Amino acid sequence: MQDFLELAVSAAASGCIYGLIALAYLLMIRPTGIINFAVGEWAMVGAFGGYLLLSKFEWPYPLGMAAVLVFMLGVGWLTERIAVRPLVERGAPLLAPILALLGMLVVFREAISVSFPPDPHPVPYALGIQHQSFFIIAVTSVVFIGVWLFFERSVAGKSFEAVAIHRRAAALMGINLSRVTALSFAGGAGAAGLAGLLVSPNVSAHYLMGVPLAIQGFTALVIGGVGRVEGALLGGLLLAFAEQLTVRYAPLPAGYAQGVPLLLLMMFLLVRPTGLLRAK
Amino acid sequence: MTSLLRWLGAALLLAGAAFFLSDYHNDVYRKLLLWVTLALSYNFLFGICGQIAFSHFAFYGIGAYSVVIFLFQFHLPFPLAILLGIALCILFALAVAIPSTRLEGFYLALATLALAQLFIVVLNEGGAVTGGPGGLANYKLPEILGTRIRGPWYTAVIVLLLLGTLAVLWRLDCSWFGRACRAVRDNPEAAAAMGVDVARTKVIAFTLTSALAGIAGMVYAFVDNTVNPPIFGLDNAFLLLFMVIVGGAGRHAGAILGAALLFLLPFVLSPLIGHHHVLVFGGLVVVAILLQPRGLVGLYDAIRRHP
Repeated sequence: MQDFLELAVSAAASGCIYGLIALAYLLMIRPTGIINFAVGEWAMVGAFGGYLLLSKFEWPYPLGMAAVLVFMLGVGWLTERIAVRPLVERGAPLLAPILALLGMLVVFREAISVSFPPDPHPVPYALGIQHQSFFIIAVTSVVFIGVWLFFERSVAGKSFEAVAIHRRAAALMGINLSRVTALSFAGGAGAAGLAGLLVSPNVSAHYLMGVPLAIQGFTALVIGGVGRVEGALLGGLLLAFAEQLTVRYAPLPAGYAQGVPLLLLMMFLLVRPTGLLRAK
Repeated sequence: MTSLLRWLGAALLLAGAAFFLSDYHNDVYRKLLLWVTLALSYNFLFGICGQIAFSHFAFYGIGAYSVVIFLFQFHLPFPLAILLGIALCILFALAVAIPSTRLEGFYLALATLALAQLFIVVLNEGGAVTGGPGGLANYKLPEILGTRIRGPWYTAVIVLLLLGTLAVLWRLDCSWFGRACRAVRDNPEAAAAMGVDVARTKVIAFTLTSALAGIAGMVYAFVDNTVNPPIFGLDNAFLLLFMVIVGGAGRHAGAILGAALLFLLPFVLSPLIGHHHVLVFGGLVVVAILLQPRGLVGLYDAIRRHP
């Protein structure tokens, strides 16, 4: 029982990380339709921000965390300015910004690999090793409640939803499309950077940590469905539990556990492509 | 007749060059030819049919691994091993493409990303059959009719592969199928209204180009005489996409130009900036999409139009 409880807490914590990454995808995909594979690299940048501020300069944790969050919002905004807005303004097909963002993915990863030595960089725990899982769960809950309130209760959130439902009509109603796009990218980068910062004490900041996170986050998004914010968290939790239960109880070599999210992804694409929760 | 002569001339020229190169340059030349072959088939999938897939390089790997495993682990005869390898590629391609076409948007990209990752996992965990993280090595191309093809002659085989791939894709591009693919890329609804079966066109294009990548992989297996997981990782899948974008998606000349440029660039850049040429690639792609979405070929067209 003790064993199972520990497993459940650690699965819930990694589920929260996947949920945050899925939320990052969702924030951008809902209003713009753009899949940004660079979220994994954003998480990596957030983790390196944590290493720099918390390990190297030894800032207090809340201050460092806030600084990373603000920095990531800026990164997201800048990415949208460079790689998305010029293409959208020119009326390029949707594929163009997605490919430009793939290029940005490589730019982010290689910029970090040029700036830091290739070995893993340690990032400190927020409250100590035994509380990290609970800290992750608490922060994620706050983020999800905040985002949910934003979409359900605020006018700005409603304007996001309006853009997601009908772009042209929303623009005619006086909603500033480019501001919504910029904000959604800033928010996406913030969520992804937070996920990277939270996961980094367990895995250490490393310049190759992005792609696995990007794939797991996307799997969570597909499981939960792109229509609703809660779906991202639900998908992340389901994915993490499936993963950890297989590692713990299934008679498989450990490496094959990496295959679990991929098989789940394929299965969901095949059987229930809209995800578990439908858009309202 | 003249076109046949032209193909023959190209084959002689490209293969003949191999006989004047040193061993090291022959090796570089072979890999260049293989990259161009891959870029050509990927261009048909991505540039002409408009499907983003990250599995092309994985199929290259499936081809390479399957021929080596069938030949040296299961000791099957050479022709049978090749046929089984192609069959395996087609089977995997169908298994990915059919579910993906049922969905809107970019789900093929994700399903193929998952496949590419899963492939690496299976290679690493495959134990004795795949050789695990170290891969398989120390095998040799079997003798065919009592002779073993080696040195520049093997480069000639790669030239034949390249020209064969180009010929197949060229013929397809000029046929109704190529036009159907372009229609599906540009406007699936209109294509469907004109009687094109969108899902079937996508599945056929994906399966065919994946099989071509698998065949190229089989040829690659005997270039270095070793296959291991890192070769077939995601980095190269991205590089392949970048080659086609930088060269000019949708044009055979673009694929050839892009592959040659991005393959040869590291040899120039490495002495200058170490192995961070990937950073340059990423920047190049962003700039290409922002300034010249039609790639180098588009740049050439623009210059020719306004001299």
